[in-house]
This record gives sequence, structure tokens and C-alpha cells, in this order.
Amino acid sequence: MLSAARHDYPDDASLVEDYFERGWTDGLPIVPPTPERVEAMLELAGLVPDRVLGGVPTREVVVTAEHAAINAVMAGCKPEYFPTVVAAVRAHLDEMGNCHSTTGTLSGASQIVVVNGPIRNEIGIQCRDACFGPGFRANATIGRALRLVIRNVCRAVPGVFDRASLSTPFRYSFCFGEDEEANDWLPLHVERGFAPGDSTATVHSTMQVCEVMDYMSRTPEAICDGWLAEILRRGIFADRFVGEANILIVVSFEHQRYFTQAGWSKADLRSYLWQRCQASGENAKRIMLGGPEGFLIVGAGGPGHATTWLFFPHLARAITQRIESASESRRT
Amino acid sequence: MTQASRGIVGLDPTSGSLERPSGRKLAVRPRNLDGQVIGLVTNGLGRSQELLSALSDELAKIARPGGVIHVVKNSVSIAPERADWARLTSEASVAITGFGG
Repeated sequence: MLSAARHDYPDDASLVEDYFERGWTDGLPIVPPTPERVEAMLELAGLVPDRVLGGVPTREVVVTAEHAAINAVMAGCKPEYFPTVVAAVRAHLDEMGNCHSTTGTLSGASQIVVVNGPIRNEIGIQCRDACFGPGFRANATIGRALRLVIRNVCRAVPGVFDRASLSTPFRYSFCFGEDEEANDWLPLHVERGFAPGDSTATVHSTMQVCEVMDYMSRTPEAICDGWLAEILRRGIFADRFVGEANILIVVSFEHQRYFTQAGWSKADLRSYLWQRCQASGENAKRIMLGGPEGFLIVGAGGPGHATTWLFFPHLARAITQRIESASESRRT
Repeated sequence: MTQASRGIVGLDPTSGSLERPSGRKLAVRPRNLDGQVIGLVTNGLGRSQELLSALSDELAKIARPGGVIHVVKNSVSIAPERADWARLTSEASVAITGFGG
């Protein structure tokens, strides 16, 4: 049974305006979270309302499936997107996801959701052309749902627990899928120990984003060296709590081609990057990845633009969670 | 022809108020630091330890504190440990900290 407080309105427009007034949106209009819509989300995911998805102890916050469902409705999710939202919320609330720090920081870190596995095609997650940008309902609303949970449930509100100096537009929504069909690289979730038939959501909190556009390089080594110039200049930082960090490297279609044509796997790529970092003298101390597995390589995007995006971490590890079906959720 | 309006119910999406807690009162501010035990809480970023130590030295020039407790967080990214909180709340009468990088 749903336990959230209920508010009565004469019509949809009144509700939307009141939610703005109460500070319950990200500044954009929301879909009214009626009990019927929220129940449909929970039913499709096989979750009871009080199922705990995680918490933020420093804020005395516990996040339930009902919280997530209300915010997913508001974000505009279809019910079939909700299992992915649930996995993303669980990943973000993992202790090593470090919610308190990554959502309160002055740096305005943002959360990226990378979706892997069959669910990408089942619910229409965009993995190719323009996949970082607007125009794709699944991408836009799943990423937005996580951010609304962070705002409304985890209380990361500017001026309260969100202390960002400038913040970032990535905080509205950032979700895309790996283009697993573009080449024979092992998908991210398989490299992280999941079965190829599993679907997963990986959440990576990022503080600095760097696009390395490189039309000139024609070899894997030359492309990697372009990335390394930025990585070594900026460093990759963790702290005692996080231990070892990750950097997410999203390789566009055009750059992928140079690696796959040369026979480079993701493991080859990581090995090259790690060796070059280790050989960089004093700079090596500023690369707090723990080993080559700290480089998370993902292929995505459409053809035409020779670029790679580097997402430097913010004091958290990238966490991957399996997306459970309704029957699996009911069993656990 | 007019259509009968139907009301709508919306669910609260929050885990509680998003405002600053209103019921909590700030601790009493002493008129000066004479005799006060000062807790200095450092987040460990950059030269924050040096900065707060220098601040402590400056305070000692303008007041006669009853003592200073230095707490350096175990990690930049998390709150002080329970033992550190216990030390601060049981021994310090005022505390100074900062945040940011």
C-alpha cells in the first residue's frame, strides 16, 4: 500500500504549478504522479512500495521503491523503464557510489547512467547517433528519474545539501547505452562479471568532462596518446574512502574503428593506457586507478565525428547493478 | 457545452521537507574565546591542516582558549568518524571547520 502523502488538485495544471512552488521539480514540468501511475510502475517491476533500494545515512534518508516510482512517473518514464531506474538508484546508493559527496560537492558532479544488455533494445535506449543528447525518451527520462530521486528523496537541493558552485546541465539527465552491436568488444557489463544476457545499469559520478576530438590520428597508440595527454594533465583522484577510482572513456564510432581494425580489444587498450601512465614518472602518483581495470571503456555514438569523451570521477567508484525482471524482484 | 472537471491526486515525491530544518536552534555563541576549547575540523584537502593550524595560532593571539582539539577527517569525501564526533561533542565547546577544495 502506498504511504506517500496525497495532495488534491482540481486539475493537472494546478498540480504541476504546485509542484514547482514546492520545489519538487528540476525546473521543468513533470507528469503528475497519481497513485494509479505509481502503482503501475511498481507492478511492472514486481516491487512492493516499501522495498528499500538504499539510503544516505548522513542525511538520515532511506529510499524506497515507492519514492523511486513517484519520481520516475514525474520524470516521464514508461512503466517498462522502471526496472532500469531501480537498478540505477541502487547503483548510485551503493556505499562506494558515495551519494552524499557526489551530490553535495561544490564541483557539481553529475551522474551518468550507462545501460547494457538486451533491455537497451527492448525499451529503446539510444546507443548510436546523438545518444548523449535530447530526443530519446528512454534515455532522457531514466536519467531524469535518477536525478529527481537525488533531489527529492536524497535532498540534494541547491543551497541545502547541494552546494555546487556552478552545477552542470548534465544534472538534468544523462543516460545512454553502449553500442554492443557495433563491434566485437566485450560489453562493459560482461567485463564487470555479468552474463552477456544480463541487463545492467552502471552509474558513474563525474566531476570533469573532457572531449578529445582527434581527426588526425590513425593508429590506436596515437589516439590513446591524445587521451593520455589529458589524463596525465588532470590526474584521476580518489581518497582513502573510495580507495581506487574509475575513469569512464566513451569511444565514438570513428575512433572505435581504428582500434578494431588494428585488432585491439578493450583489454589491449587498457593495458596500453595503464603502462603509459605507470611510465609517466611523478605523474603516475596522480592516476589513482589501482590498475588497468580502472579504465572503463564503452563504445557509443554514430558515425562521422572522430572523438572520445573522458569522464573523470568524483570521489566514487562506478557501480554496476543488474536490472531485475518483475518475477526476480518478487522472489527476492 | 461544459465538461465536468475531475480532480486529481498527486503523491508527495520527497522523503521529508526539502527545506533547512526549522526546529533546530543554533548553539549559543560565546562572547569571546577565553577558556573555550576549540575543535578544529579539517577535511584533509590541499593545505587545510596548515590553514586551520595558522588560524588557531592567530586566535591564540587575541584570546586565551582553554585548549584546541584537532580532528582530521579520515577521508575527504565522508563525514567525520563516530569517535571524532564523540571527541568534539564531549570535549570542545566551540568548533571551526571549512569545506571546499
